[in-house]
Amino acid sequence: MSQSLRPYLTAVRFSLQAALNLSNFSSQEVERHNRPEVEVGNTSAELLLQPMHIARNEHEQVLIEPSVNSVRMSIKVKQADEIEQILVHKFTNFLEQRAENFYVLRRVPVPGYSISFLITNKHTETMITEKLIEFIIDFMEEVDKEISEMKLFLNARARFAAEAYLEQFVY
Amino acid sequence: MLHLKPHNLLVQKTLTEALEAYNNGSPLTLDRIISDYDYTTLHITNDDGDKSSLLVSIRTKATQSCNETGSDLKGFLEQKFEEAPGLALSGDKKEAGYDFTVTVNLSQITAESIVQVSLFKILVMSYPFYLAFGQSTHFSQLNEVDQVEKSKEATAMVIKYRDDENIYIKPSFDRVTVIFETIFQDETDKVFGKVFLQEFVDARKRNRFIQSAPQVLFSHEPPLEIQQVARQHASTAADKKSSRRFITFVLFPRHYASDELMFTSISQLALFRNYFHYHIKCAKAYMHSRMRYRVDTFIKVLNRAKVDDEGESESRRTFTGRKMVY
Repeated sequence: MSQSLRPYLTAVRFSLQAALNLSNFSSQEVERHNRPEVEVGNTSAELLLQPMHIARNEHEQVLIEPSVNSVRMSIKVKQADEIEQILVHKFTNFLEQRAENFYVLRRVPVPGYSISFLITNKHTETMITEKLIEFIIDFMEEVDKEISEMKLFLNARARFAAEAYLEQFVY
Repeated sequence: MLHLKPHNLLVQKTLTEALEAYNNGSPLTLDRIISDYDYTTLHITNDDGDKSSLLVSIRTKATQSCNETGSDLKGFLEQKFEEAPGLALSGDKKEAGYDFTVTVNLSQITAESIVQVSLFKILVMSYPFYLAFGQSTHFSQLNEVDQVEKSKEATAMVIKYRDDENIYIKPSFDRVTVIFETIFQDETDKVFGKVFLQEFVDARKRNRFIQSAPQVLFSHEPPLEIQQVARQHASTAADKKSSRRFITFVLFPRHYASDELMFTSISQLALFRNYFHYHIKCAKAYMHSRMRYRVDTFIKVLNRAKVDDEGESESRRTFTGRKMVY
């Protein structure tokens, strides 16, 4: 892990720990509704807490939006060039299509970010919060690794295919 | 399956079976339609009443444009098939709806002639290539002034082998330029294609072992050699222009020095598009399966976070370890 990645992930970890302090909270506006307050247009300001914005650089950022009963966390994955853009888009799309298996994954990312998670008090009640944070940190590490590996693989494959084709012309 | 074979395996297999059955004294009754790349259809049938001969017909998109490049495509094919025993191009008696028909005489054919028939599509497409190689050799024998003049005058030949994608061939006194026009159907293909094409361009510079391979160039605009010809065709598809790419292969005389070399060069070039797009699709498929695997590992990590619903204290077990159900 590179030197600057470690403090970035540590910052995200502690911010998440601080944010994931959720309680069951019924809607103040609609009777018998219990909805993630961070997702609904809110008239009462006390339900939303101060959002946290952690940036490693302009390509890699995390936005954590806490509220009384839910936390929305959005990750911007590094996209250096056209290929990485496509790979990130495909990969996040792939995950979002399987969002029901991921419980905490949001189907649509917040504008400006690659992927978003929505953690509600239901999730923190049925899962161990420490492990949940572990998962998100692990995800952030793996995604970068996966994208760069796939990119390398694509280049290697292209090189191999091109050389194999041109070798046929060597007489 | 790294390399595609130039001949059609299914045609080869069918004819080999037919030959075996004929030799065993029980000729097969055949009526088979076989497809090949680039909108090519081959049809194998029995000749009426004559069990010893088969008819193989071909219909391909390239025929019309190949025919326009020279005067005698039919004569060329006739000659190609005459070289192999037991084959003859039926001149006027071609099957309705097909471009050419070859009569295969089962009592005479050999394994080589079966291969020759299965190369039918490549043979049709090879005609303009042979013409270009011939012209290039002809130019190279002229004196220095004429060489340049004639090469400039020579027009590029076009093979329209797909709906909107063409091959251009331009002969010159010291080289033959083959230009592929290709279209990428979606954005991902375009980006992946760019990576692949860049590697094609760089491969020769990087690897000394393949220095003698043809030079490869690629561009978004029609190269100068074919601007005259390409303009006529490009007007029909101007809207799709952004996904259009031109890939140039520069063949040097050493790539068409002998008949055998000519043929291997042609058969590899004719399959270039298939090879190229096939590998793009393969890369995509691999990425897909890799993502699938990665998603599974992520789910495993997430499942570690879940609290076990069944507390040990609540469930009671029998002596043999079975669970008690209330």
